[in-house]
Amino acid sequence: MEKTQISGIQLYLILLGFLFGSSVILTPALGAGRDAWLSMLIAGAAGSLLMWIYATIALLNPSKTLVEILRERMGRIAGTILSVLYIWYFIHLAALVFRNFGEFICTTTLVETPVAVVMGLFALVLLYAVNSGVEVMGRMSELLVILIPVVAFLISIALITAHDFTAFLPVLENGLSPVIHAAFVNLTFPFGEAVAFLMVFPHLNRMDNLKKVVISSTATSSALAIFVFARDLIALGSDLIARATFIPHLTSLLIPEFNVVPLVDINLLVGGGVKISVCIYAAAKGLSQVTGTHDYRSFSRAVITFCVVLAVWVYENTIEMFGWAEEIWPYYSIPFQIIIPLLLLLLSLRGKNKPSQPNTESTETESCTSDA
Amino acid sequence: MVIVIIVVFLIIIAYDVQGFIRKKERASAVIIYLVLMGISLVVSVLLASGKRPSSPAQWIEAALKMVGVVK
Repeated sequence: MEKTQISGIQLYLILLGFLFGSSVILTPALGAGRDAWLSMLIAGAAGSLLMWIYATIALLNPSKTLVEILRERMGRIAGTILSVLYIWYFIHLAALVFRNFGEFICTTTLVETPVAVVMGLFALVLLYAVNSGVEVMGRMSELLVILIPVVAFLISIALITAHDFTAFLPVLENGLSPVIHAAFVNLTFPFGEAVAFLMVFPHLNRMDNLKKVVISSTATSSALAIFVFARDLIALGSDLIARATFIPHLTSLLIPEFNVVPLVDINLLVGGGVKISVCIYAAAKGLSQVTGTHDYRSFSRAVITFCVVLAVWVYENTIEMFGWAEEIWPYYSIPFQIIIPLLLLLLSLRGKNKPSQPNTESTETESCTSDA
Repeated sequence: MVIVIIVVFLIIIAYDVQGFIRKKERASAVIIYLVLMGISLVVSVLLASGKRPSSPAQWIEAALKMVGVVK
């Protein structure tokens, strides 16, 4: 285990950046139309439960990453196969976020630049962050993630005169079914994607804080997402929201005199950057543990290169990207985000009376840190 | 463009494999690394030459449709 540790506040901010991630430009619960705020509330509650499950798995398997837990609880062969599938999932997720970022930048800001160039340059910065380790990612989040709510708040203040609160009405015009479906989509994106944090949780310096940290981060992220959606809805109206591609970007264009689009870009750089970094770290770390390599950095360059190529390869255009994210991604994610973690939780609870041997190297690190 | 891509990939692979040999990593690690970079190189060359192969997104969609999860 890598000898690095992060504090509770750092994990809280990394998780907040991760959960907000692409939500800066995409509104996952948009299928519910003007009732999306209701879907977000339901998804936030269900997401907290999911995060509680991930945290419980981590606490029942102290100092172990997802790959180590899978191999211990499911057996070496099944565990390794599932680990490889998870590594693929993290790489795929990173590639999708790369593509979201690239499409947004190339559609709104750098319209003449090829999407591969934008993603390649972003990848270089993120490679540096990933190779610097979890500690640096934590410190980077402490500095940058705070910008996300600040920017959201600034844009909201600037739009305070453009509001129509009747945009929320009528509530549940199309019944409860679209709201539930949108809540499910929102649960898988972004809350379920935080399963990648099972590779990061062992680095928390005080594990007794874990549940508190993940639940509060989920609650903050939900509150922020609802706030941003409500702002967009009262500023743009439900008809325009249904037709817009990048909603927060469109809202920011309403501000007279000032060009605040770079602020939205910064939000995406921070949120998307944190999300991709965590996914790349999880994939590289997983690969190093599966192959028994000393250092995850040996794989980080290959993983990030593959992610950029996959991001260009995976969709032909923006419409396909949005359609896939809405219709296929939630069902594809169910085994990774819900079924396997639930199975792991059950197996971990069954083995609670026979606790596993914690990773000695990281335990030494933890005790050294607590002594200090 | 294709030549530039091949040269960039070869430089990255040469640099990383040197590291694998210096650290005396397992053969499985080198193989997985080369598989990842090999796929990236082949797909990049195909994309650069305008021959886009069917993507994993399409395979996943087809698989989910086949088992009836998605219509």
